[in-house]
Amino acid sequence: MNRLTLTIALGFGLMAGPAMAASGWTGGDDLPTSPLACDGTPAAAAAKPYDGGSPTNAPNRAGKKITVVDIPKLIGIGYFNATSKGIADAAKELGNVDAKTDGPTKANIDEQITFIDNYITSGVDGILFAANDPVAIAPVLKKALSKGINVVGYDANSSPDARQWFVNQAQFNGIAKSLIDNMAKEIGEDGSFAIVTSTFTTPNQARWIAEMAAYQAKCHPKMKWLETVEAQEDNTLSFNQATTLINKYGDQLKGIFGMTSVATPASAEAVTQTKKCGSIAVVGLATPNAMKPYVKSGCVKSVVLWNPVDLGYAAAHVLRAVVDGTLKPGATSVKAGKLGDLQVINGSEILLGAPTTFSKDNINNFDF
Amino acid sequence: MSRTFLFRYETVLALLTVLALATLAMLSAKFFTTENLLNQGRLMSEVGLIMLAMTFVIVTGGIDLSVGSILGMTAILLGVFWQKVGMPLPAAIVAAMLCGTLAGLGNGLIITRFKVPPLIATLATLALYRGLAEGISQARSVRGYPEWFFFFGQGEVLGVPVQLWILVICTVIAAVILARTPFGRATYAIGANETAAHFSGIRVDATKLWIYTAAGFLASLAAVIFVSRVTTTRSDMGTGIELDVITGVVLGGTSIFGGKGTIIGTVIGLVLIQALKNGLALSGVKGDGTIVVIGVVLIGAVLAGALLDRDRGGS
Repeated sequence: MNRLTLTIALGFGLMAGPAMAASGWTGGDDLPTSPLACDGTPAAAAAKPYDGGSPTNAPNRAGKKITVVDIPKLIGIGYFNATSKGIADAAKELGNVDAKTDGPTKANIDEQITFIDNYITSGVDGILFAANDPVAIAPVLKKALSKGINVVGYDANSSPDARQWFVNQAQFNGIAKSLIDNMAKEIGEDGSFAIVTSTFTTPNQARWIAEMAAYQAKCHPKMKWLETVEAQEDNTLSFNQATTLINKYGDQLKGIFGMTSVATPASAEAVTQTKKCGSIAVVGLATPNAMKPYVKSGCVKSVVLWNPVDLGYAAAHVLRAVVDGTLKPGATSVKAGKLGDLQVINGSEILLGAPTTFSKDNINNFDF
Repeated sequence: MSRTFLFRYETVLALLTVLALATLAMLSAKFFTTENLLNQGRLMSEVGLIMLAMTFVIVTGGIDLSVGSILGMTAILLGVFWQKVGMPLPAAIVAAMLCGTLAGLGNGLIITRFKVPPLIATLATLALYRGLAEGISQARSVRGYPEWFFFFGQGEVLGVPVQLWILVICTVIAAVILARTPFGRATYAIGANETAAHFSGIRVDATKLWIYTAAGFLASLAAVIFVSRVTTTRSDMGTGIELDVITGVVLGGTSIFGGKGTIIGTVIGLVLIQALKNGLALSGVKGDGTIVVIGVVLIGAVLAGALLDRDRGGS
């Protein structure tokens, strides 16, 4: 009897593994994944040659005052206000950087491209960006490089050859592991969950979801993914989508992943308002300030994020280092002010560090 | 004659545009350069193309809110036909544009056969076509188009962006049709008084069908140019473009109640908005400030139009 059960379980396990890996979850991208080891053994970093682009005929601006424009996905949300603050802090500290943030009021590829195009015409020295779409933004960034403008990305990448460096806030597989592990801890190894994301084609979220699917299949094979819904980084829409999920799946739904800093608090609010605290877990990426009420009330136990102020700060330092010629293709690390030396990974990316999990114990130490 | 010409809304708007161009040129030395102006021509072509069709739609007293969704759906179909179905790219372009045009025809059929108000009908298809785009694409973007395809969105002919040529040609055709043909007069007649137009022997439904189909066609043409310009296909392409289009058309003097409007006015409206967006950005005004200015200009222009009407004792 026992052997039979075991055989059946094993059979299902063997069938489910490849099936999950093959089907993939909605909202992930098609790129290859590299899930981390279940016990957290760090993966060996493969050496990769520089694959970023380079500006043509850039004037020598080393040590000179430069004008920099920061064009995030959209303006007016807490997350990008924080990166913008980091950039302003670094500019103030460096003294020879004149930085400003401007961008569309909604995460729209076309508007962002137009903004960048206009700043190229107005003649800036450097562009910092967070891409709404990695491929759509590439032609206009290549145009900037061709005009001798230094281009550095942060938060959301473009095709590597369309920019010089990209400041990566956290590796995708690291975030994925952290999210899935936290969820497994809260809802158990056989719980069912759903995802609220921005849009299915947003590069970061798509990458995380793909990595989450791979890591879950590898390390928590019995967890069940129900559905991924889009919420456009819109507060009301995120709340409505989360409420719909709760009503649609009823008791089957044990957990919700919020993939954006907007979706996570909105999902927590939806769970609170439907009085499902304790029976539906919310795990996600969010800024600590937005999550403090839910963490305090005990409705949310773990929030995962890097420090976006540090991200903006690092991006501004990287741009300055590129302009000054201290960060060249082939470098293995770069100095970023108070953050110290940051490591170069994947050829032309700079890693900010490991993600932080905010919980009841430490969330009050952070203010952003 | 000279007095009516002087007080025509389009003349006032043209003067306003010249004034705006001059001011912006003074504010930023980078604004009035050939390179920047041609680049702006490139950026405004997609909206401009749809505005041409929207002028006809609004002149009949209708509205088409689904153009952005048709754009998104055509873009996705283009990618899917090419990559998933395996059609050669030129065939995929034609097939996708055919579907986009049919989507416009669908709007027309709902409006004329079932007498649904255009606002409601196209509000429904706005959701329907966008939903189809998301469903068909499975939310995956299609990338990796061959180099020659980028000609439509990034290429140049005689130093002028390809899509600006397309826009100019379409503008001339639309202007001639609206101002100089029986079809154009039928369009005005429907907008001025649909019942009267019907009893004058004008084929009201057929005219409307053609106009909504043309809106679908131009939206899908814009989609091809858009995909070629940004080198990728996403299901959220063209979201909200209908509002930019309607803003431009209304600023250009087309009455939202129908019966009034010209292509030249629409073109001036397009140029004024694009010039403001670009010129203000170049002179250091941030994005949020620019939207405020455009809102103020729109209100000012509509008020001016209303005052002119009153001075002439209505039209």
